[in-house]
Amino acid sequence: MGGRIRGLMSGIAALSVLVACGGATGGGTTTTTGADIILGAPLSLTGSSSKEGGLAKQGYDMWQTWVNQQGGINVKGVKHKVQIKYADDQSKPDISAQLTQSLITDQKVQFLLGPYGSGPTASDAVIAEKNSIPMVEGNGAAQAIFSKGYKYTFGVLSPANKYLQGVIDLAATLNPKPSTIAMLAADDSFSQEVAAAVNDYAPGKGFSVVYNQKYPNGSTDVSSLVAAAKAKNPDILLNSGHLAEAIAINKAAKDLQLNAKLFAYSVGPSTPDFVNALGKDSYYVMDGSQWTPQVKYKPTFYLSVADYTAAYKSTFNTQEDPDYHVAESTAACLALQKAIENAGTVTNTDKVRDALAGLDVMTFFGEIKFDNRGVNVTKPMVVEQIQTDGKHHTVFPSDVADKQVQYPTPPWSQR
Amino acid sequence: MSLFVQQVILGLMLGGVYVAVAIGFSLVWGVLNIVNLAHGALVVVGMYATWFLFTHAGIDPFLTLPLDAVVLFAIGYLVQRGLINRVIRAPLFFTLLLTFGINLVLINLFLLWFKADFRSVTTSYSGAGLNVGAVTIPYIRLAALVIAMLLAGAVGFFMNRTRTGFAIQAVGADKDAAQLVGIDLRHVYALTFAVGAACAGVAGGLLSTVQAISPTAGEPYTLQAFVVVILGGLGRVSATVVGGLLFGLIEVLAQSQVPGLGAGWSNAIAFAVLVLVLVLRPQGLLGRLA
Repeated sequence: MGGRIRGLMSGIAALSVLVACGGATGGGTTTTTGADIILGAPLSLTGSSSKEGGLAKQGYDMWQTWVNQQGGINVKGVKHKVQIKYADDQSKPDISAQLTQSLITDQKVQFLLGPYGSGPTASDAVIAEKNSIPMVEGNGAAQAIFSKGYKYTFGVLSPANKYLQGVIDLAATLNPKPSTIAMLAADDSFSQEVAAAVNDYAPGKGFSVVYNQKYPNGSTDVSSLVAAAKAKNPDILLNSGHLAEAIAINKAAKDLQLNAKLFAYSVGPSTPDFVNALGKDSYYVMDGSQWTPQVKYKPTFYLSVADYTAAYKSTFNTQEDPDYHVAESTAACLALQKAIENAGTVTNTDKVRDALAGLDVMTFFGEIKFDNRGVNVTKPMVVEQIQTDGKHHTVFPSDVADKQVQYPTPPWSQR
Repeated sequence: MSLFVQQVILGLMLGGVYVAVAIGFSLVWGVLNIVNLAHGALVVVGMYATWFLFTHAGIDPFLTLPLDAVVLFAIGYLVQRGLINRVIRAPLFFTLLLTFGINLVLINLFLLWFKADFRSVTTSYSGAGLNVGAVTIPYIRLAALVIAMLLAGAVGFFMNRTRTGFAIQAVGADKDAAQLVGIDLRHVYALTFAVGAACAGVAGGLLSTVQAISPTAGEPYTLQAFVVVILGGLGRVSATVVGGLLFGLIEVLAQSQVPGLGAGWSNAIAFAVLVLVLVLRPQGLLGRLA
């Protein structure tokens, strides 16, 4: 088994060396090996976001393995291997900031990869800025992170306000057309931005938001909110929150027989856990996703979408497809690698920062190109749905979809 | 109006869960003077036990409750006998520190064994409920409330009608005098903690049917048990029942029924009530004066 994985990995490595040679500048035939590049990543390995933090770590590890198999990052013909130093921030923004500082001061990290979540990312961005260390992140989507004029923080993922827009665009095309929305949102900055965007965007598409409620982040019981939403008889039930809350809301919707025609949650349904935990009750649920294994991008750098999915399965010895949290984390690494290569320096962090600001590269994750705030506004979000075969399918926009949307969701009593 | 009735019912059902979680916590605190910071983690052991038996042996989650209780009783007995008894006469701070440590160890064991994955117990009948007009009473939550009340009754009976219960109360009242009349302190301590843990196990089994299970799922419940006990008062099972039901009601009604305030305020309101109780009636609503 191990041999097969190693064989496959070296195959991928050989393939990617070919790709890299095609794209690399200089064409140096004599590459030498330089000192390792030390990256720091505070991540939620325990605490409320430990699941998502673990997924992010998988994404970072995949890239690290791949780049080191190639000999490292090619900086003007000198190859530098990569070491990632992890620190467990317990899903807490203040601890994340402390650890970021200690990674910089004690572990001498040269660049930062982002933590999981908008809260920790916002607090770590302050530390990155203070120390003039570029941080590329793939797991903090709140625009609040990027509205403070920071110069050293770059996010490869689509910003929070895009998360549920695709679902609303999709809903507008459906027949019978849904018309009312109930929105339940956690009170963290990311979830609030998602909710605010829905409230701004939905009326223009012919929907009315009939119930809009905020609940404390990490709530264990949401049944009273679901009961209040049910009293408004909405066609669409939306949640912007986190995996645990998405599961709780779906359970409460069944318990209280809230029969919406469409259920969509910002975070949660994309993970295998959601399906494993809820079984058939997870069917028909949609989410706005940063990425799915079905997207049809044509990357000029790193692996293709299909190769990435295959490499993930063999690396982690699983049948499950990589979740978008994994993909966006790998994408953050790719942006950093490309910027270091473009800058042609490891030591001059300001040059790397400028290279990030000017980056424009097509990857398996989509196009990565930052606006002047450091937000990747180029890449679109897609909508995926858990269908009655128990699998995730991309259903919108239609040019990347692999299946028709299953709609309307039957009432709970008829499932 | 029907929405208000619905919310009251949901509040009582949530309160039932709080009662189940807080009974064991209250017992351990009242008798051993230990604020058990690992209580939430013990609840999670119960969740995983039920999940495991349901998923791998196909046993109905409600039938797993006695097994949860037995497993947790054994764990509780060993933890108290082997660890906590060693610092039981030290100042409160040491037992706090020790139970905090046990909490961390348990959570990391869960992470090691079960990963950070979220799991859930979804039965064929979950989601079924009784419809009365516009009001829905989910059977699972109703059953959880009933079982929590039965659990409270059983603990009350055990404490007030059995020899062992008297021995536990005697130790709680005056441990030196209890020792003088021949009560084996170490055994009674371990027994008390074991009963507390068994209650936590039953609470975990109940919770596994209504919420997602993950290694840190117990964290909020330690705090909630603490609040329920403060609210109701120490030293009586009935106080915990009143405290738990009341706290569930306050939380749910604050989430949805306070005009002008969103659900984001529900914690603030619930804890404001707690502070009020502490100021006006420091022994809790039904507590005995220490």
